[in-house]
Amino acid sequence: MTSKNKIAILFFLIAPLFCIFLSICIGRYPLPLQVVAQVLWHKLIPGSAEIPEKYYSIVWDIRLPRAVLGAMVGGCLAISGTAFQGLFKNPLVSSGILGVSSGAGFGAALAILLFNSMSVTYAFALSFGILAVCLSYLIGRMYKTTPAIMLVLGGVIVSSVFSALISFAKYVADPYEQLPTIVFWLMGSLAAARYHDILVAGIPMVVGVAGLIGIRWRINVLSMGDKEAHALGINTTLTKMLVIFCATLATAGAVCVSGVIGWIGLVVPHIGRMLVGNDNKVLVPTSLSLGACFLIVVDTLGKTLTGSEIPLGILTALVGGPFFVYLLKKTKGGGW
Amino acid sequence: MPIITVADASFGYNSADVFTNISFSVGKGELFCLLGPNGSGKTTLLDCILGMLKLRQGKIFIDGKDSLSFRAGRIARHIAYVPQRHERTFPYRVLEIVTMGRAAYTGLFSGPSREDKKIAARALETVGISHLRDRPYTQISGGEGQLVMIARALAQETPVIIVDEPTAHLDFRNDLLILETVGHLVRETGRTVMMATHFPNHAFYFKNNGVPTTVALLHKGGFLATGDPDEVLTREQIRMLYGVETCIVSCSTGKALELKQIIPTSTVPCGIDD
Repeated sequence: MTSKNKIAILFFLIAPLFCIFLSICIGRYPLPLQVVAQVLWHKLIPGSAEIPEKYYSIVWDIRLPRAVLGAMVGGCLAISGTAFQGLFKNPLVSSGILGVSSGAGFGAALAILLFNSMSVTYAFALSFGILAVCLSYLIGRMYKTTPAIMLVLGGVIVSSVFSALISFAKYVADPYEQLPTIVFWLMGSLAAARYHDILVAGIPMVVGVAGLIGIRWRINVLSMGDKEAHALGINTTLTKMLVIFCATLATAGAVCVSGVIGWIGLVVPHIGRMLVGNDNKVLVPTSLSLGACFLIVVDTLGKTLTGSEIPLGILTALVGGPFFVYLLKKTKGGGW
Repeated sequence: MPIITVADASFGYNSADVFTNISFSVGKGELFCLLGPNGSGKTTLLDCILGMLKLRQGKIFIDGKDSLSFRAGRIARHIAYVPQRHERTFPYRVLEIVTMGRAAYTGLFSGPSREDKKIAARALETVGISHLRDRPYTQISGGEGQLVMIARALAQETPVIIVDEPTAHLDFRNDLLILETVGHLVRETGRTVMMATHFPNHAFYFKNNGVPTTVALLHKGGFLATGDPDEVLTREQIRMLYGVETCIVSCSTGKALELKQIIPTSTVPCGIDD
């Protein structure tokens, strides 16, 4: 490993922490860097200094959980997108390809219609997201093996069924109370982030991410196609199932607390490809870091740009699009 | 002892048989050349040996062991595979592609070690493309791409390499380059190569260059003939196999071996061969 690589690894480790820190400072009520540092320091080593309750509450209760959740959600969406692109040998695939987003969307809409409780909404979103992927997988498995094209087809079918169900839920929803809630949920937001969410949704996210990090080099081999991967000594069915399982846990965990945030799972992996190349050994952790940074930046913009919050699903594309074009020009696409 | 033995093997999709009751064996350090018209089942037979398809009947022995007794992935430590046409997807670096040849030796949750990368680099050197190691493999030529695939198979460090029509879409020079590389592997590294090809002259090329070569003619679900190219590749057999009239010419180059080639002259109208 060259020293250049070590610096890059260090950079990608520190970047999300740096973004979290900055995003705590920025907001409707700007805080100086040293105040934020003091509050965080104070929490680590109690009794080191007196800090006004107001600062403490802004940093610790409102902005830190939001930034941390943003980092986790962004990282999860990006890493699953990277894994799926490798698995399906297709650069146009995103983290939602097997229907997890539309499944989770329907689960959330259904919970909003029936229960009007935040935690039930999470649970429904998570389980319907996972259910959707299971259905896609079963369709893809119709002929014993799981060829990529059949899985994608399964995903497309399941996604469109759940999209239709979402529309149906919107159609029957009460237009003054429930409909706006559903619509805002579908556009994605981190505004409601609490530590409790981080703990609950964090479990599937951490398990999924850890699995993908562990198995990442095998994704290279899977992207050679079933026949070659088999001849190279890989149990393709099992490996694919593991990748899908981990990516689904990560995405479903992310989507159930943040709502549907598009774009990250498609384009952040490509930003990673341009920066560090296509070897998933390096690309997978890089995507995790980039996705985390990206969502924190977008969320910070979303809460500060205008008087009211701009939904994340809108801003990810508006901010990411131009940035992506800039990178495309700068790196000449990295060999495509 | 033969390194691969196929005993009484039959395979078919659904009700149609692709081949029935095929038996043969391939010796160590030998080049086994599989010839047959389109759709005769060459690739299917090779897939069965690679463990991708299961025989309907019969057995395949790899190094004396029943291939069904190999755990998933272990066949890859005995047989490597060079595909007919590799579908390029992401612009991986050439060295990254070759390093994937080490997958059979890495755990599910680990990647290639430093040693694996060294083995991959050595494989690139063996096929003479070290200068390509950091190039995106989507940007190299078809011939170079096929050499990368051979290097990947070498990195797999298997006694046997299965090569499926390696020169199917290569130009005049690259075709020869691949044959030279394959011949070199058999002669210098003692590997066994099983190669499916559309060109009977490939078998003569290896024979002409002192590579121990066996030819098998796959025809209508069985072997028409197997053996030394000189004995098997006769005008009559070629007419039976492909329905082509040929001339077999040989000339001496002053070296010890004579050069032998088949020159097709005309096709035989269908149905005459049986």
